[in-house]
Amino acid sequence: MKSNTLAIGFGILALVFIVVAALYGLGVLQILTSTTSGPHLKHAILFAVLAIASLIAANFTRERAV
Amino acid sequence: MTLAQALFMGLLQGATELFPVSSLGHSVIIPSLLHWKFKQSDPTFVPFLVLLHLGTAGALLVLYRVQWIAITRGFFTAAVRGRITTGPERLAMLLLTGTIPAGILGVFFETRIKSLFASPYVAAGFLVVNGVLLLGFEQLRRRAERRAALESKPRAEQEQSFSEAERISFVAAALIGACQALAFFPGISRSGVTIGGGLLAGLRHQEAARFSFLLATPVILAAGLVEVPQLFASGVPVVEYLVAAALSGGAAYASARFLLRYFRSGRLDPYGWYCAAAGLLSLGLLALNL
Repeated sequence: MKSNTLAIGFGILALVFIVVAALYGLGVLQILTSTTSGPHLKHAILFAVLAIASLIAANFTRERAV
Repeated sequence: MTLAQALFMGLLQGATELFPVSSLGHSVIIPSLLHWKFKQSDPTFVPFLVLLHLGTAGALLVLYRVQWIAITRGFFTAAVRGRITTGPERLAMLLLTGTIPAGILGVFFETRIKSLFASPYVAAGFLVVNGVLLLGFEQLRRRAERRAALESKPRAEQEQSFSEAERISFVAAALIGACQALAFFPGISRSGVTIGGGLLAGLRHQEAARFSFLLATPVILAAGLVEVPQLFASGVPVVEYLVAAALSGGAAYASARFLLRYFRSGRLDPYGWYCAAAGLLSLGLLALNL
């Protein structure tokens, strides 16, 4: 499915994931973590991967000039 | 943990990680049956598991080194181009799709579930469930073979009628990836549920095993690498653990080679019967406290 709107949506999602990854990495965000303090590397890596996947999805869905 | 116990656990982990019989279930049940006193909650046990997993992931990387180079290249090419044109590119994107649900479920729920169910009784119970699941996957595959009128054909020919890993849908890849979360329950096998999921998606047995092993590699590797700093904690016998990890890697490599050959015409049934029998026997032995 090719749609620039969808591509922009994935781009925004990627930005959100990057911010969440940074917050987990800095230890600011503590949601659904096993400890209540310190940085959460696993969570940060997961959201960084989700950001990359969203950017790839944005590239796949954007319309191209033929 | 003594050196002999560490080596035994390394061999056990490597051999059972890729066989569809649950490495976690075996590593919970067997020490308990042997009345080994080491505690899996000990701070030095996590680095031990980390190294064993890195050994297994290393073995899978070596086994599929050529494919991983093609997959990595395919991943970057397809990601930049925004279009899939080759088999390795499609496989790379399928693996990414399968890894995401496993990663999300793993990061948020793995520790909680494992700590809730880390009892040998529960593991033995889930081992029986794993056996029933494997037998169920094969029953569904036999039904698909009957529908395609393949039951009278030789096994090799039956298998050829099914698909390669590169041809499954992205939804199927995501579902197979999500199935990995079932392996957080000790006794349920990661490779068992992913191979079974692959069979349901219409893959050949050998292709389902290949997809399962490729899917497992990034998750096992990432989970291991993230915990590497724990190796430098005080009191960790790194050399002993490294030897156990090498044994684990060697056993994983040998078992992967065996399984890929076995699944050319073999089925999940023997592993299903083994899990059901081993689970029931373990429950009996644990109850009798022998």
